[in-house]
Amino acid sequence: MIRKLVTLLLCAAMLGGCLPAALAESVDFTDMMNRPIHLDGPVDRIVALTAADCEILYALGAGDKLVGRGEYCDYPAEVLDKPVVKSGAETNLEEVLALNPQVVLMGTMAQTAEQVEALENAGVKVIVSDAQNLAGVYDAIAMIGTVTGKNNEADGLILKMQETFANIAAQAEKTGKTVYFEVSPLQWGLWAAGKGTFMDELAEICGLENAFADVQGWGAVSAESVLERDPDFIVTTSMYWGEGPTPVEEILSRDGWGVLKAVKNGAVFNADSNAITRPGPRLMEAVQALYEFISAPAALEPAA
Amino acid sequence: MLNAENITVRYGEKTVLDQVSFSVDSGEWWMVAGPNGAGKSTLLSAVTRGVPCAGRITLLGRDVSSYRPEELARQVGMLEQNHAAGYAFTVEEVVALGRYAHRTGFLRRGDAEGEDKVRQALALTGLQELARRSVLTLSGGEMQRVFLAQVLAQDPRLLLLDEPANHLDLIYQKQLFSLIGDWLKTPGRAVISVVHDLALARRYGTHALLLRQGKTVSDGRTAEVFTPQNLQTAYGMDVFAWMQGLYAAWQQ
Amino acid sequence: MKKQDGFPWYGWIAGLAAVLLTMLLCVCSGSAQLAAGETLSVIARAIGGLPVEDGLYKSIILSIRLPRVLSAALSGAALALCGGAMQGLLRNPLADGSTLGVSSGGALGAALAIVLGISIPGLPLAASTGMAMLFSFGSLVMILSLAYAMDRSLATSTIILIGVIFSMLASSLLSLLITFSGEKLRSITFWTMGSLSGRNYTHVLILLGGLAVFGTVLVSQGREMNAFAVGEENARHVGVPVRRVKLRVMIAASALIGMCVSVGGSIGFVGLIVPHMVRLVTGPNHRRMLPVTMFAGAVFLMLTDLLARTVLSPIELPIGVVTSMIGAVVFVSIFYHSRKGGKSAC
Repeated sequence: MIRKLVTLLLCAAMLGGCLPAALAESVDFTDMMNRPIHLDGPVDRIVALTAADCEILYALGAGDKLVGRGEYCDYPAEVLDKPVVKSGAETNLEEVLALNPQVVLMGTMAQTAEQVEALENAGVKVIVSDAQNLAGVYDAIAMIGTVTGKNNEADGLILKMQETFANIAAQAEKTGKTVYFEVSPLQWGLWAAGKGTFMDELAEICGLENAFADVQGWGAVSAESVLERDPDFIVTTSMYWGEGPTPVEEILSRDGWGVLKAVKNGAVFNADSNAITRPGPRLMEAVQALYEFISAPAALEPAA
Repeated sequence: MLNAENITVRYGEKTVLDQVSFSVDSGEWWMVAGPNGAGKSTLLSAVTRGVPCAGRITLLGRDVSSYRPEELARQVGMLEQNHAAGYAFTVEEVVALGRYAHRTGFLRRGDAEGEDKVRQALALTGLQELARRSVLTLSGGEMQRVFLAQVLAQDPRLLLLDEPANHLDLIYQKQLFSLIGDWLKTPGRAVISVVHDLALARRYGTHALLLRQGKTVSDGRTAEVFTPQNLQTAYGMDVFAWMQGLYAAWQQ
Repeated sequence: MKKQDGFPWYGWIAGLAAVLLTMLLCVCSGSAQLAAGETLSVIARAIGGLPVEDGLYKSIILSIRLPRVLSAALSGAALALCGGAMQGLLRNPLADGSTLGVSSGGALGAALAIVLGISIPGLPLAASTGMAMLFSFGSLVMILSLAYAMDRSLATSTIILIGVIFSMLASSLLSLLITFSGEKLRSITFWTMGSLSGRNYTHVLILLGGLAVFGTVLVSQGREMNAFAVGEENARHVGVPVRRVKLRVMIAASALIGMCVSVGGSIGFVGLIVPHMVRLVTGPNHRRMLPVTMFAGAVFLMLTDLLARTVLSPIELPIGVVTSMIGAVVFVSIFYHSRKGGKSAC
């Protein structure tokens, strides 16, 4: 491991000498996998494989530095004009290298050590972002700020996010009401967001308790356990395909779910799946939308 | 009873049977003989419609292709050469399958004499003791008797036997052949069997069909068919001298 | 005893009673802790046609557990019956919808119907169910023709090998479909492991209809299947119309498997485990074995599903995980004994 790091550093150092010195100031930091990273200065050519990293780049005003994006990156709309590369398990190194990036931003999910090594051997810096919670998102933003030389913008964005969340948290009363996040619909077997997910954290900000706080991460849960827990709110992240009932209508029409407080009160919300699942700045929108929904008059009616 | 005209069977390019004709009447026991590859077993398959064939085969005046499977099974029974039962059926269950074609009426439940026929068949083949045994535990000879019992229970008019003496020790060979002989005594029955042992063929057959490479060498009464010349033609060796030599050894 | 080689009337009663008792047990237990007394009274009132007070109990018991337990019972009965029938027909104790690749083919058909948005107005699920049935049958025909072409005796290992290869092909096509369809098909787990979560009375009706029609066909062919299980040539000689019976059983079994797949995904190995266990008790006579297999399959899948939904409560295990684990053990045991015993099982 250490030998590998040394090699990496040596490689980077040698190659660094060949790169045009864009800006004088070099930076050293560790990425979110605790790998030491040395850059001679902010970079201009970045390939970002995860959707959240793309969103962060644009939020920092560094969208012009993006020379390639992973296939699932679709926000903001301008990102769609960037060249697409395969991501995740299908990451194609040749495709990435053809874009001649200085840095590749990737998540930890599917990239293998071999892929990372191959990229670094080819002279491309690999920087891993791996946000598991809101604090992680701030770290990722700060890190991407450093990489792109947008430190001030990054600090600003982090502050804005913190304030947004703090404001909502301050407004939100801790009423003990519960929320059930449904990430897979009944047709394919219910899945709920449990402890340690972004959704769990967002619920807390909104003053809600996660109905499945006893489940770690994501878990397939039984329909009857949802009925038994009788959550005050149901939030589904299903997407609507433009045919048949909407996800909300589908939940309201489920056999036997009529007894639920959330169903009786119409407290079922279809969250923007991308905003609420991606560790990026749009978590602000997601939490705002969620908070607005739970504080709407209909949803505030006391349960019968 | 059975009339076969110009039966020709081809497997792809290969002609296995070539224009074979013969005619079986009730009371007759036909022995089909010839060297390996002569088409003996294929001939039996053609009669039971197991292989597609050109030519015309009539049974009791009707073309065999016009028979429904059950109808045909009530007239023609077949004892195959190889037996390998899957699963642990009992001897009795396998023998009772012989009654399949005889079931009639609602849900094919009716078969008044079925039980008797099965019991008789078990008795004739000496299988009463083994009736409840699993067929997986039987020896090759015992299996042969089980399927013989099955075909007897089937009660056909024409019995086809493909090398029935296979797997059987001498005691059962003798019993088998005298059993078939007795079976044949009931009027309106006939037997066609494929045999390798020409001594048995000569002793029990009333008629014979001698084949070589799919073509008829000779057919008719056994005495007329099994002549030294015909056997020489069929086997390409002096079968007569060979057989006589074998038996001469016993007389010393 | 000699006369009675069919399945006696009291056998049907006993089987039905066992199924109903298991059903009661399964409806009374689940991840939600409900009082047994109250549960029983809800069930009793529902059976008696009396009105049941709206509330959590009615919802959980009548809207969630009962249709799910019924789906499990019917799928289990159907899958086990199909497995038993195909094992008889092919004279191969390892034949089953999952080992032959029929379920994977059916799953591909159902998924295709969903992706292409094929639907029949007014009849929910009809299109995907129909496609699953069609694809199941197509798969079976394809696998068997290929197996025949390679090895006319349909040896155990040949057909299983072809089934496994076909299964892999169908699964990879399914994965491809899922990749291209985005989130529409969502979970590959549903299709490969199966799930009875969230099944409703429409699903129950589909399965009930399928079992009534095709299950009856299969059970009625017990005598013919006995002949096939002894040997196909022998079956022909005793007068079984082999081609017609084969086609009939293949259509019925694959249609039924297709229906089960479209309702609950590919729940593997049920058709392997249950007939194997039943045969140890009843012997191979299909006229007894098939009805018992049907009841045992219902009981087996209801209990397996109970395990899947309670053991890690409130988390649910995919039911196929449980059946496949048991199935793998049974598969190996059959294969081992058939190899070791030489002629014994195949």
